[in-house]
Formats: sequence, structure tokens, C-alpha cells
Amino acid sequence: MSEPLEAGLASTPSLPSAPALPTRDAEVRGRRRWPLPKQADPNAPLLVVEDLKTYFSLESGTVRAVDGVSFTLRDGEALGIAGESGCGKTTTALSLIKLLPANARIVGGSVRLFGIELATRDEKGLRRYRWREISMVFQGAMNALNPVQRVGDQIAEPVVERLGLSRDEGMKRAVELLELVGIPGDRVRAYPHELSGGMRQRAMIAMALACYPAIVIGDEPTTALDVMVQAQILELLERLRHELGLSLILITHDLSVIAETCDRVLVMYAGKVAEEGAVATVFRNPRHPYTRKLLAAFPDIEADRRTLAVIPGSPPDLRTPPPGCRFHPRCEFAMELCRTEVPRETTFADGVRLACHLYPPGSDGSLPAALAGGASGGATPAAGPPQTDALSFRQLADEALAEGAPGHFAGADHGLAPQRPNEPSPPLTPDARPERER
Amino acid sequence: MSELLRLEDLQVHFPIRSGFAEMVRRKPQRFVRAVDGIDLVIQRGEVLGLVGESGSGKTTTGRVIVKLTKQTAGRIVFDDDDVSGLWGQRALRDYRRRVQLIFQDPYETLNPKQTIHDFVAEPLMVNDLVPAAGERETRVLQALDSAGLRPATDFAFRYPHELSGGQRQRVVIAGALVMDPELVVADEPVSMLDVSIRTELLHLMLDLRAERHLTYLFITHDLAVAWVIADRIAVMYLGKIMEIGPADGVIRSAHHPYTAALVSVAPTPEPPDAGTRASRTILVGETPDAAHVPPGCRFHPRCPLAFGRCRTEEPPLFDVGDGHQAACWLAEPGARAEGQSLPAAGAEAAAREGAVPAASPRPGSAAPTP
Repeated sequence: MSEPLEAGLASTPSLPSAPALPTRDAEVRGRRRWPLPKQADPNAPLLVVEDLKTYFSLESGTVRAVDGVSFTLRDGEALGIAGESGCGKTTTALSLIKLLPANARIVGGSVRLFGIELATRDEKGLRRYRWREISMVFQGAMNALNPVQRVGDQIAEPVVERLGLSRDEGMKRAVELLELVGIPGDRVRAYPHELSGGMRQRAMIAMALACYPAIVIGDEPTTALDVMVQAQILELLERLRHELGLSLILITHDLSVIAETCDRVLVMYAGKVAEEGAVATVFRNPRHPYTRKLLAAFPDIEADRRTLAVIPGSPPDLRTPPPGCRFHPRCEFAMELCRTEVPRETTFADGVRLACHLYPPGSDGSLPAALAGGASGGATPAAGPPQTDALSFRQLADEALAEGAPGHFAGADHGLAPQRPNEPSPPLTPDARPERER
Repeated sequence: MSELLRLEDLQVHFPIRSGFAEMVRRKPQRFVRAVDGIDLVIQRGEVLGLVGESGSGKTTTGRVIVKLTKQTAGRIVFDDDDVSGLWGQRALRDYRRRVQLIFQDPYETLNPKQTIHDFVAEPLMVNDLVPAAGERETRVLQALDSAGLRPATDFAFRYPHELSGGQRQRVVIAGALVMDPELVVADEPVSMLDVSIRTELLHLMLDLRAERHLTYLFITHDLAVAWVIADRIAVMYLGKIMEIGPADGVIRSAHHPYTAALVSVAPTPEPPDAGTRASRTILVGETPDAAHVPPGCRFHPRCPLAFGRCRTEEPPLFDVGDGHQAACWLAEPGARAEGQSLPAAGAEAAAREGAVPAASPRPGSAAPTP
């Protein structure tokens, strides 16, 4: 893996949303197995999504699952889409190749692959692009494979269907692909139930790679797997990306997966983009209150003290999203403006795109005083009672342990935690995050 | 601090159904050794995190404790009573009231055609604990309220499909609480939930422990979750406990290579700096089949530090101080004296040790050799 690509990535970890060098794009694109589609513009970026809107119509109303999402994916780049369940991240991905359920419709916006508009194409017009240019590793490898068909046949199917190879050639390719993802080639004749969870996930990845696609979308590719197997799969994705020059879109609620594998992260909330930027920039210096909460809520064994934040409430019903900023009912810094006006997306100097009234378009994108202080101070009287419930039970437990009696804090002692809502929670301030060994 | 539950040399072996040909040839019956001799003590009021990959036997251990699976050998002592031989609905009635189970998947645990109230009230009715309907309703509403479903009257007559995943898991918790248990065995209670909701539920479980003096056996595959909630952590691999000790000790100064590897791959939302990715120890393969347990130390085929003795002799749990034990030849008192300490051998552990401020001095073997 001594690709120049990887070296380039490693040497520029802190570049603000490093605008990929055109040379890199060209280099990655130069490794393509097939010529670009006929209508492609060779100078267009790989994938541009603009103001995408996908709505579901239900009897009870219209669900605005994706409501104006824009992003760009460059050649060889890995983009992570993060958010809670129901925030529209899977729908966004499915919209790219229109694998949507019958009651869903793309009502606006555009998806352009090599400059070719995909959002308005019909089923037939999409055949050239589905799986050959954009493929997908579906959620839940356990259920996504056909249980009564041999793994090899399932992998060969897109090869035969899409690339027009013969069945024998298809099977040969299946063996090749299985070996590429680390499964012995003789397992082509195995049925899914004969494979372990990790191997099934690898087989799903092999299937996604079958037609040498430009983009692979992974929808929660590691969610149901053990930690060790998850690490193996992430390592595999990383290796494949560099070896094959793939572009990845990883959809997950697990921020660690994104930290591990992606160059850029897009945080979605209730069908809209909350924050987008280079992983290193966003994770070290999260700006949107939602991103901050998500990061603070993540259990991390590297953090010194266990102070986990809670995001109060639950995501809104997207049939009737709240007016103004969709996050305002759960935001401790919500101002009057947030309740009435939808924040506009603004891109700051370090390449981070944000939609939050705390960072108005004219500002320099630095941390407002309210957030820097940790707790909701006087700057936001509209916020009402502070909703943060900084969870410091680990700390309490440690103190109690230090006193020498693990059973001791089971009683009254622990009850302290909920009574300290105003305690500033360390993970909220970037400098309080534990230093990592270089 | 008193002992609530003790497992002594607990074994659960499941027979493998043999084919006709094997029967004719009189091949010996083979077994899946799901749990293969574990000793475990849970103190009253503590949270013991039981961590392991799938196939490690952690769920089977939980099921044996709640008496859903019969042990092959070994003793289960609950509150100084031997309950190993207790079987049958009547005999178990009292035990089952005191020991409750929370399942992993709140989507499958709840009956879609049953209201929340009926789900929570069912154990009371089945066990004939509270015959009066009015009193029963009060108990149910109290349990829902404790589980954070407020106002309880709003939730009691809803159906599961009207609730979010987090709310469903709260209902499941209410169902366990209504029996007023002493020990709650929670089997992956948060692994199906989003990270943001996870925190809330962990918070809730710890609050309930304080309010109701609960003791938890918290089964999870996620070391980070165990670290957040548990006082002590036990790491299982292929039916055996590999390492057990205070949460801090196990995470910060792992004495078993398996734990060290788990710690090194534990998810963290920190963007990787140059070099940190290299510090991970990714074990090859997956937990092997419990029907073919390797000889010697059962971890040796995947262990980066395995040496001759590991292939032939199975290490017992060695004391490494502070109530911390590890089943590894490298943790043997003599072995450490010779300087074969794990942190020195495993580069990743050494790297991590450096990252942790000196707040947690480790017993012995602390200095990574340059």
C-alpha cells in the first residue's frame, strides 16, 4: 500500500478540507477499467449533489426525508454521512441511484455523476450507472444475501448482467473478488449460512466491487459486527479504496467509523446538512451544537473521565418539521431567531460548511462565547432551563473506588450526578479532549 | 459490600446433533463448549461488564444465570443459596422475581399486538404477585415512570409501533423493573440503539441502580460501553474468562493480549493522526468455533505474543494485583519478573500507556522497555 495516493493523504492530515488536487483526480480516474460513460464530461467532478429533495408520501402526510442536501464527492475520496436514525442519510444514498421505495420521489435537486444528470433518469436510463458506476453495500449483511443462492452466483450475477460476460467468466471474477476481500476462493460454492458474519459482510463488499464501480456506498457496513471484525472490515475498505482508487460514501451513526476511514464528514439532521468538512477539522473543532453533542455522547475509552452528554428529546417528525432550524427544540443554545428562520448554509475559511445561526454568514466561524463556556450562560436567555445533563458517573465511580468501596457509590453517592446539570462538560471544549499519543 | 451471585466452574456444553453415518460408526458425541468453566462473583450493587465477541459465551452465561439454559456442570449461588438445581416454574418463581433479564432487541422483545401496559403487567399476572387490578396498574405506572416514560399514563395504552427505539427499550426496562428485582442481567441492551440514545439509557440504568439498589450483569461486545457503565469488567473468549478486574485496570493496563487488542481497536471518534492507525492490533480471523477449542491457551492461534508453552498448557487466572486477574502465561508472576511483561511486548499497549497520564499506576511491569 505504498500508493502515492496514501502518502498524499497522510502528509496533509490537517489541511482544511483539502481541495483535492486535480492531478489526484486525474490519477484516480486514469485507473478506471472502463472508459467514462459516453455523455460524461471528463473535467466534471465525480459526483455533485445539489439541493436534493426526496419526499415520501404516506396516508398521513408527506415525509420530507431529504430536504435540500448538497455535497460533492471527488475521485478517491471517502465521505462519511453521519446522523441519528431517521435523519435521511440512507434515503440520501438511495436517491443517488434511485433505489427508492415506491412511495418515495425525488422532488427536486440534481445528482450529477461526471456531469451526467441522474436524478431525472428513468429506470432504463439508469442501468448504465447502477452497479457499474455506483454500487452499494447494504445494511445488515445477514439479511441482504439471498439464503438459497450460492455466494459465488450472487457475486457473478451483476458481472453477467451488467458487463455481459459469460457465466464461467462471471464465476472466475467471483473467485477473484472473494480473494480480493480476503475470503478463500474455494468458498464461491458456499451458501451464505456457511459463512460467518464478517465473511458475509466481505462477500457483500465483493459483490459491490463486481463491476469495477467508481463509487461504493456503504450503508452501515459494520453496524452488526463485532469490534474486531469491524476493525477488519474497515481496514479492508481502506485498502480497497487505495488499491482500486474507489470513492466511498459511508453512511453510519457511528462516528468512530467515520473518524477511522473518511476524509470528509457530512453531519445530517432531520433531512438537512448540519455541518460538513474535513474529518480532522470537524471532529477536533465541532461547531454545530448537534455535532458537538453527537461527539460528546460517544463513549470513548480514550477520554480520561467519563462525561457523556445526552441529546435531550428525539428527532422531529419529518411530516411536520419544526419551523426555523430543525434542531432548535433540542438545542440548548436556541435563540429566538432559530425558532423562526431556517439557517442558511455558510462555508467558512477552513472549508467547513455549516447551517447554524450561532455562526452567521459574516462571522469568522470561531466559537461563540456561549459554546466556548460549555454551559448555557446568560447569552442565551431564551434557552430556558439548561438541558445538558453532563453525565459524570464514571468520575463519581472513580472517586468512590478511590475510597475503597465499589458498593459504596451504589446508593446515595451516585444520586449526585443528576443534580449537577450545570457542570460544564469537558468534552464540549476542544482543548479538554484528551491528548493522543503522536 | 456483600456477594450477590457466584458462579463456580460453570460449564455449558451443547451436544452437536450427529448424523446417521456418525451414529453408525459410533463416533463419540461432540459438544459445543459455549461456556467452559468460569468462576465469577458479582457483588451487591456493582455493575459487572461481561465483554466478548460473538461466540464467546457471554450470552449463554447470562441465560444460565436467569435459568433459561441448563448448565452442564458447576454451581450457581445466589444470595448464599445454591440455585443450580432449581428447575421448574414453581421452584423458580421467587428466583425469577429477583433476577430479571433485559434483551438486546427492543423491536423483537415487544409483542406488537400488546399494549405497553399489558406487556409490563404480564409478569405480575403470570406470577400472581399482585392480584388486585387497581394495585397492579399502580405498579405498572410506577415502573414506566421509573423507566423515564413520563407521563406514564400517556404511554401505558400505546402500542409498540407508536414508540421510538429508545422508548421501546425503556418499556423493556420497565418490564424488568416491575418485578422489583435485585439482579438485572442486561444482554446488549443498547447495541441496537443510536449513540445519542445509548447515553440516555446508560444514564437511566445507573440512576435506577442508585434508586433501587440494583446489581447489573451488563453483557456487551462493546468495550467502550462497558467502560462507561461497569465497575468491573470481565473479558470472555471462547467460553473462558481471559481477564477480569476493575474497569480502569482492565482498560488502562490490560494484562492479556486479547484485551489489549480489543482496547486497541475500540471505536473512538478521534480522527486518526499519522501513526495512530498503525498502533492498532487487528487480530486475524474470528472467534473460532466453540466446537473445536484449540489446545493449550485457547487464544493462542490468534495471539500475537504466543510462545511454546501457550500451545500446550492452558493458563489459569493469575492475580496481577488490585483484584485484577488475567489468564495468560505472560501475566504469571515469574514471567513478569523476567521482563516479558505484556505492555513491553505489545507495542500498541505501550503506546497507549504513554498516552494515559500517570494517574493510573499499574501494578508491576509498568515500564515499557525502550
